[in-house]
This record gives sequence, C-alpha cells and structure tokens, in this order.
Amino acid sequence: MSYFEPFIIPFSVGVVILFAVMWTKFISWISALPKSDKKLIIRNAVSKATFAALWEVFSECLLHRRISRVNPRLWYMHMSLAFGWFLLIVAGKIEGTLYLKSPVNPPYVDVFFRKYFPEAHIPFMGFIMDLLLLFILSGLFMAVLKRFKPSVYGMKKTTKHTAGDRIALSSLWAIFPLRLTAESFNSALYDSGSFLTGTIGNLFAFLFPEHVLQILNETSWWLYSTALGTFFVAIPLSRYLHIFAEIPLIFLRSFKIRAAAVPTTFTNLEIAACSRCGICIDPCQLGRNDIANDIQSVYSLRNIREKCNTVENSDNCLMCGRCENICPVGIELNTIRISQRYKFRKNDNPYNYRYIGNRDFSQGEGKTGYFAGCMTMLSPKIIQAMEKIFRQSGEEVWFADKDGGVCCGRPQKLAGNIDAANRMMELNKSLFIKHGITTLVTSCPICLKVFKEDYKLENIRVIHHTQYIHELVQKGVLKLKKDNRKIFTYHDPCELGRGSRIYEQPRAVLSLAGTLVEIDETRENSLCCGGSLANTRLSFENKNLISKTLTDRFEATGAQYLVTSCPLCKKTLSRTSNIPVIDIAEAVS
Amino acid sequence: MANNWGFGINEKRSIDLDTNNFDIVRKILEAEPSFYRCISCGSCTATCSAGNITNFNFRKVHHLLRRGEYQTLSGEISKCMLCGKCSLVCPRGINTRNIILNINRLITRQNLR
Repeated sequence: MSYFEPFIIPFSVGVVILFAVMWTKFISWISALPKSDKKLIIRNAVSKATFAALWEVFSECLLHRRISRVNPRLWYMHMSLAFGWFLLIVAGKIEGTLYLKSPVNPPYVDVFFRKYFPEAHIPFMGFIMDLLLLFILSGLFMAVLKRFKPSVYGMKKTTKHTAGDRIALSSLWAIFPLRLTAESFNSALYDSGSFLTGTIGNLFAFLFPEHVLQILNETSWWLYSTALGTFFVAIPLSRYLHIFAEIPLIFLRSFKIRAAAVPTTFTNLEIAACSRCGICIDPCQLGRNDIANDIQSVYSLRNIREKCNTVENSDNCLMCGRCENICPVGIELNTIRISQRYKFRKNDNPYNYRYIGNRDFSQGEGKTGYFAGCMTMLSPKIIQAMEKIFRQSGEEVWFADKDGGVCCGRPQKLAGNIDAANRMMELNKSLFIKHGITTLVTSCPICLKVFKEDYKLENIRVIHHTQYIHELVQKGVLKLKKDNRKIFTYHDPCELGRGSRIYEQPRAVLSLAGTLVEIDETRENSLCCGGSLANTRLSFENKNLISKTLTDRFEATGAQYLVTSCPLCKKTLSRTSNIPVIDIAEAVS
Repeated sequence: MANNWGFGINEKRSIDLDTNNFDIVRKILEAEPSFYRCISCGSCTATCSAGNITNFNFRKVHHLLRRGEYQTLSGEISKCMLCGKCSLVCPRGINTRNIILNINRLITRQNLR
C-alpha cells in the first residue's frame, strides 16, 4: 500500500537532499583521513571505545549533559529541543509500528501519522505525543527568549548568525508551532488529539465551520511539511550540521583521533560539529575588554566554514584555552587555530636556522637538566632563585641555556610556522640527548608544554619547576618556614594550568610558606595575563588593559604578593600591579 | 640620470632610493602602527635570542626595511625565532613579532625574496 499524498513532497525532498549532502561530506572526510588515523579506527573499532562512544552520543548529542554543568537554563533549552524531538520521532515510529503492525513503513507515515490515521486511538500514545510536543515547545519558548534577551541565561552576548543559519533557525522555530496547529485542526475534525491538541482542536471546532476546517487542516499540514523540508535542506548550509556531525566526531575521538597542527579532514569534522551555541563568547577576555568581538572561536570556526577567515582574525587570539575548556562539544579550538595559522603561513619565506649549527651553550654536568627558557632569561631573579634551590637540593644540574640558547619552538608553533618550530625542536632535542639527562626542569610553562607534547623525549622526565619544588618540599630537602603574616595570591598561567593541568603543586607549596588567598576565577577558569605569545596582533596598550583588569582583582584580595609560575605572566602582570609580582621559586628560596 | 647614461665600463654601483619599492614599508606601518614609535634604541637587538648566536639584528631589519632592501632583508629575517623577548623589553611598546610575520608575509606575496 502506498501512502503517497502531495503534501509530503517538501518533507521527502528535504530528507533526500539532507542525507545525500551529509553523507557525501562525512564519507569524503573520513576517507581522506591520514593513514595513521585510519589505522586507529581499525584498531579501536571493536573495543570498549565504541560502547563508550555510543553512550557519549546519547548523553551529549541528545541530553547535552556537558552544558548542564556550564549553564542549567541553557541546558534545558538545548536538551528539550534535541531530546524532545528525538523522543517525538521515536514515539511516532512506535505509533506507526503498533497501528500498522509492521516496523517498516515509509518515514512520512510515522511523521504525519495523525494526518494519515486520525481514527487510530492507541492507548497513552496521544497523551505521550502531546506531552512531548509541549516539552519541545517549552524549549522553543526559551530559545526565542534567548535570542532577544540573552541575559536571562546569564549570557552577555549570543551568536550573530549567517544567512544560512537564519533560514534554518526560522524554519526550526516554525516546525513545532505548525505541528501543534496541524494536529489541532486534525483533532477539530476527527477528535484525534489529547490534552493539548484536543483542547485547542475543540476551540477550533467551536470557531470555524467544517468546510473551513478542512481547508485549514490541509494548509497547516502542507506548511508543517514545508517547514520540515526547508529545515532539512538548510541543515548542511547552517550550524545545524552539528546535529549529525557530532556523532562521527564522538566516535573518531573515542578511537583516539585528534586534530593536528597540520590540518587533516578530522579538523573539518570538528568545525562542522560546532553548534555555534555561543558559550565560548563570554569567557573570551578579548571580548570582555571590548578589544575584539569577532574573533571568538564560534566566529572563527564559522569563518572557516564560510571560507572567509582572515589571517588577522586567526592571529588575534590569546589561545588561553578558556573557550576550549568550556566548549560543550569538546572541539580542539586551539589546535584548529594553529592549523589555520599554518594554512596562512605555510608558503611564507621559510625560516632558516642553519646558522645555529652545533652550538652548545650549556654548562655543568648532571643528569638533571635545567632549561630556563627565553622569557626566564629576562627575569634573572627566577634563575637566581632556581640556582639557590638547586644548591639546596644538592643535585648536580646541567644548565641547558645558561648563556643563551635556542628557543623551544613553541612561539613558532603558535604562529603556525610548524616547519620552523620542528627545526628548533630537533636542535634542542639533540642537545638533551647528547648530555644524557634523565630529568628536565624548566621554568617556563610555554617550554614545558612543547617539551611534553611535541619533543617526544623518551626516557627524559619533563617537569616544571613548581613540580620540582613541590617534590623537594615533600622529600623534606627544601624546608619552608610557614609565615602566616605573608599573604600570597596565585595566578595560574594558561600553559601550566589549562595547558598542562598543574594546579595543586603551586598551591600546596604556597600554603606551606604562608597564607594563600584566591580570586574567584582560578584553576580551569583562570584568566590570561594578556601577555600571551600566541597573540601576535594584540597591542601593548591592550595587553596592559587585560593585565590591569586581572591585577585589580588580585589586589582586591588583600594579598601582599602576587605569585605566579611563568616568567611571561610575571613580566606582564608586574607592569600593572601595585603589589610585588614574584615567581614561586622566589617565594620559597 | 648619471647611472642611466649607458656607456659605463663598470656595473652601476649607486643606490637610487627613488626606484625602491616602499609599498611594503607602507603596508607594514599600516598593519602595525606602533612601528612608527621606534626610536632605534636597540633594546630589541641587545636582548635577542637569535642575536646571541648570530649577527641577527632587529634594528638592522628596520633599517633594511626602510631602505627597501628586501633581498637582504628576507635572508636576515628568516633567522628570527619569534620568541618575543624583543617585544617585552621594547621601551616603546612595539609589537615586534607582528612586524616580523608581516614582513615575511609581504616579501613572499610580492615575490621579493
């Protein structure tokens, strides 16, 4: 039996176009993944990872649980639309299966079930369908409210949309009220509704004569089908591609595939999975200080998708990682930004470090190496403090860059000059191997991150000096005298905190040396000092502006010392701070 | 005029500053206006990580740029490690790294390597 009726044409055309475009995109991206990634898929496809991914698809794509931790009201809005709609589709399928006694029916029969079979009164199903519709409509009401008054959700700004997004959004907003209207007219004619559509249907039956109801019923089903069709066609052109893109993303991620500085097609998938929810807008410090309002990750990903990203836009970012930390989809925003910079710079005049040759500026012997880093060289007090600590530890230390040395390569990597960064990394790595060190201590979190992630230093333990000091204190080698009159406040450097997840050690050390008072945004939510090496566009004045808003808050805690563990943060904060800014090594030596 | 006479035995040795292409200088100053503030004090050069190892010299880069000598410039600038020490010590708050990246971008774009 064929159930064809003309009003299903817009819906069916939409579904066909949606799946054709979407599958073409996803299959071409996955098939273009590098070989190493494909091997990961094959190795991990039949494992616990697949089940974990299935659960994550349910809890993230439908329940949106990560948003609930960020913002409960926003979570309800997203969850009611996604999970509610999903349940409505499932319930429609159940109705169709039960009534027709066959699970295989054309999709439009399940979607427009009431229109086809108004006489079907399956126990509870009418009530459930009305309840689900009400659930979705409540979410829709919140969505409309958010667009006009984001402050209700504690958001200062919501995302600005593209044309494709507007079409998709308008049709999405129209779908559920139209469904309500269509089902209500149907109920007015055939008494097919429950508490919601039934009541409105009774009202319609009271208001209109039957021949008018016939026309209105037909029209409203046509409109409902058209709204669905429009939305489906608009999905691949708009942010709503995230609904489907997040599913393969979750699977590939659980197979341990990651975005890379030199972009692969996995990056495309991550970009498509951005829902432009706008949660990343408010944490951005460039936006908070009104320095730039178009560079936030949501806009930069949008620009990449619309192919209108500019080098200026991609360079103007602190890469503090606050957006990446809060992103409910878990997109690797910093890596994507680096890969954008790489795209813009890969053909630039190549950097050439041949002049460095085999130069070795290191001093001393010892299995523990100390790499101060360029920035630490500019704050000799940190080096002096570290030398004192090394003397106390009694360890023999090899100083990798006592009289200057090669940069760790992280600044070049952050700028997207991957080749240049790799060459510098090779130079430093060969130096570490030549001297046979087993532990590498660095004072600079920027160096720490690149040593840990890109150097692949087998057999060498890489630690930051906060970890080193903490270990010495625990071993009892370094004895701290607790002086409660000394009040410290601590600033988490981005690369050490969010970058390397080191939060506890510095706090433990400081609490042993004095009293620690903190501001409210710390640890994962800590703020950037403004001096970030990742931003090559930010002017000196704006760096100071960001730094000032931060130091004001630190001063308000009443602390005597602002302690940090990054030489760059120290330099940047000391420009605007009225209280002395010291490194943790200075605080304990 | 003198170097255009056409009957000389030697290759021309004079530098005619009028024929140099100052397009790049203009664009870089546009992209990074803080460069106008440079007083050529040399702090950047004194602190430079690359300058510690070689004769790389940001002040020289500025000089070559202003004179429009892009070929020499492209060789010089490729030594930069982008570590950012120069921007931290600059008494005039110049965003030196943006200048380096822009020079590199523009000399590549305009094929002046």
